Amino acid sequence: MAGKAAVEALLRDRKLDRTLTSTLPDRLGEDAVSPLDTEALDRGLAGGLPRGQVSEVVGPASSGRTSVAWTALAAATRRGESVALIDTFDRFDPPTAHACGMDLSKLLWVRGQAVSKTSGAIDPAWLPGVRAVTGPGTFIERVIDRAIKSLNLVVQSGVCTLVVIDLIDLPATALRRLPASTWFRVERAIEGSDTAVLILASMPVARSAGGRSIVMGDSPARGTTPGNECSPPASVIWKGDHDRSRRLAGVSSQAGITAARWAHAARVDVSTTVFNAV
Amino acid sequence: MFAALYAPSLPAAALVDVARAFTPRFEQLGAALGNTVVLLDASGLSRLFGSAQELGEHLRDALSKLSPGDSLPRVAIASTQTAATLLALGSPGLTVVMPGKEAIALSSLSVSVLDTFERLTEPLEKAEGKRQKAEGNTAHKGDLDETGGWHHPRSTHQASRGKRRAPENRVLEILTKWGIRSLGALTELSGPEIHERLGERGALWQSLARGVDSRPMVPWVDEIPFEAALELEWPIEGLEPLSFVLARLLEPLAERLERADRGAAVLYTSLRLTSRTVFTRTLQLPAPMRDPKTLRTLILLDLESHPPDAPIDIVRVYIEPTPAKVLQWTLLERAQPAPEQVSTLIARLTALMGEGHVGSPLLVDTWRPGAFQMSDFGSRISDISTIQSSNNPRSEIRDPTSSASLKSALRRFRFPIPTRVTVSEGRPVRVQTDRQGFTSGAIVQAAGPWRTSGNWWDTPGPRQKGESGSAAWDRDEWDVAMNDGTVYRLVVEREVGQWFLEGVID
Repeated sequence: MAGKAAVEALLRDRKLDRTLTSTLPDRLGEDAVSPLDTEALDRGLAGGLPRGQVSEVVGPASSGRTSVAWTALAAATRRGESVALIDTFDRFDPPTAHACGMDLSKLLWVRGQAVSKTSGAIDPAWLPGVRAVTGPGTFIERVIDRAIKSLNLVVQSGVCTLVVIDLIDLPATALRRLPASTWFRVERAIEGSDTAVLILASMPVARSAGGRSIVMGDSPARGTTPGNECSPPASVIWKGDHDRSRRLAGVSSQAGITAARWAHAARVDVSTTVFNAV
Repeated sequence: MFAALYAPSLPAAALVDVARAFTPRFEQLGAALGNTVVLLDASGLSRLFGSAQELGEHLRDALSKLSPGDSLPRVAIASTQTAATLLALGSPGLTVVMPGKEAIALSSLSVSVLDTFERLTEPLEKAEGKRQKAEGNTAHKGDLDETGGWHHPRSTHQASRGKRRAPENRVLEILTKWGIRSLGALTELSGPEIHERLGERGALWQSLARGVDSRPMVPWVDEIPFEAALELEWPIEGLEPLSFVLARLLEPLAERLERADRGAAVLYTSLRLTSRTVFTRTLQLPAPMRDPKTLRTLILLDLESHPPDAPIDIVRVYIEPTPAKVLQWTLLERAQPAPEQVSTLIARLTALMGEGHVGSPLLVDTWRPGAFQMSDFGSRISDISTIQSSNNPRSEIRDPTSSASLKSALRRFRFPIPTRVTVSEGRPVRVQTDRQGFTSGAIVQAAGPWRTSGNWWDTPGPRQKGESGSAAWDRDEWDVAMNDGTVYRLVVEREVGQWFLEGVID
């Protein structure tokens, strides 16, 4: 025991105590996190998204994963911080984001190239062989390559305190082909800074040691009711009884939040409201 | 010691040339009016030109050589610039006043000379504004409040009558009515009573009549353009050698900008190529900056995106200067990124992603679904009012319950995906798409249609419908839930009956 204490003291002296497997505090300091300004999620995250760490939000379609990411961006912009969104496939919708409370003037939006079947709709600069950007040949790979490069540029500049990279529509095979060193480099760039990076994806990608994983769509009620394939999913909330008066009110889901050295995942009920619903 | 030169028959440039021959410290008054007095700082000129009287004679002789025979230039030397200027305006020939005798020398001058002096010394912008206003609307000429906002309680009627006669100066008019004709008479009046009746401006006039300076001298500064060029012995290709050339050009320019307290607003890079063509790039900077490394990086990143098509012979850089930005940050808020940092990042990202792919979204005033514009990121980043309004933002949306309530996000497909939709009883019941990664199958619940249309009034005729330039839209929106819980937004273009997958509620 004395030997262990001596080793720990030595690590602290050399400022290497990050490697210690001591228990994380229940709630991080206010300056060490980027809160989402939503009590339940912030409590589950032990204060918010930790700064200087890579976190991720994952889940299936319509599970509220994008809503969580936009909530984090909106909360940061309301605090006067500059934020960035690396929008790999150009899926961001500014009017909806504004309705979510996001101050768009504080948002650095890096738009990737939307995928279309018609090549005429693609910016010619993105077609292979036109620009002197090295990289693999396929269009999708070039899009991913540029998104990752953009992420590196943004985190290295230190301009934005919250950076979200949207990899949701990335094919699973392409996501798996991303080398782990990609995320190590990002972690290294933001280590000790007040920048938090959030990866938005359909499946777990990467998370730094002090980061959080928010897994959306864990609700047991989600999915079709057994035995009745055509009944509506329980997670979608509708208003109005009649076909003519019915409207989409929102989606309810459950988020499982995990982190390294946490014994149990925190569970938070998440419900989203469609902004044009009265 | 100051010397004032006034020669109505000579152009302003001639007066400036004479002044420049005597001293580098001089000021041109009344440049906007075409009625110029040049004021010289004569301190220290006695070793070169002798006493004040001799200096005055030298100046008079220099002006006489340029003047036509019948008009004599006016030269005045006094210990204050006000006294020198008033004497040059009011006394013919050469006048030299010993220090302390200014009030006596000025006492015989007409009080109207103060009006001329005031017009000469008022700021250039104000003079221009007044002139434009007078030229633009002569009917409102009398509305100019020449008393600086002061109104005598009994003067309303008289003022309105006076305005019909278009008086140039209310203070001058009042003094004339009081019987004050000379500066000596003005100085004999009681100071507090002048202030009480004519306000600040009246007190200022009395002070000027004694020859007291009301402002410091602002010496003439030659405007040298912020431009540098380098002709290369050997043509260069590629950006790496060009970066060294740019560093050599930009560092002295940045030093000059710093000395002049200016920042670069627009950066012009002109490259003469071996093909005898001139390749020019213009960079509009979001904030004034003068760090040479940042400026060089911005030029190089821009040239990386738009490279010249031949080797470079001559490199020329021109900077359009602007007053440096002064910002007072708050101690209570998070520090904002420096404009240099932001500009460099935006330039790097634009070089990587392409024009129009980097910036901040800006909402536009339309009902068109998903409409937005791109604007420069960072242009509004230093808006202090926005920062201040964000104080204590957390109290707004704290949700004390155990569940989190968020706003739904819409993931919009920038190019809507064409889909095949089966419709039964006017409602979509099945969606089929060939695109991988999207759910096809039965619709378990649907809400709609939400019909919108717009800009149809901009379409001149049926021939132009469907063209890319047509901005009209007419469509129905449906929110549909699929079997696996995915919620899509479907859109049908009513004109052609084509269904599209527009987005996912997520």
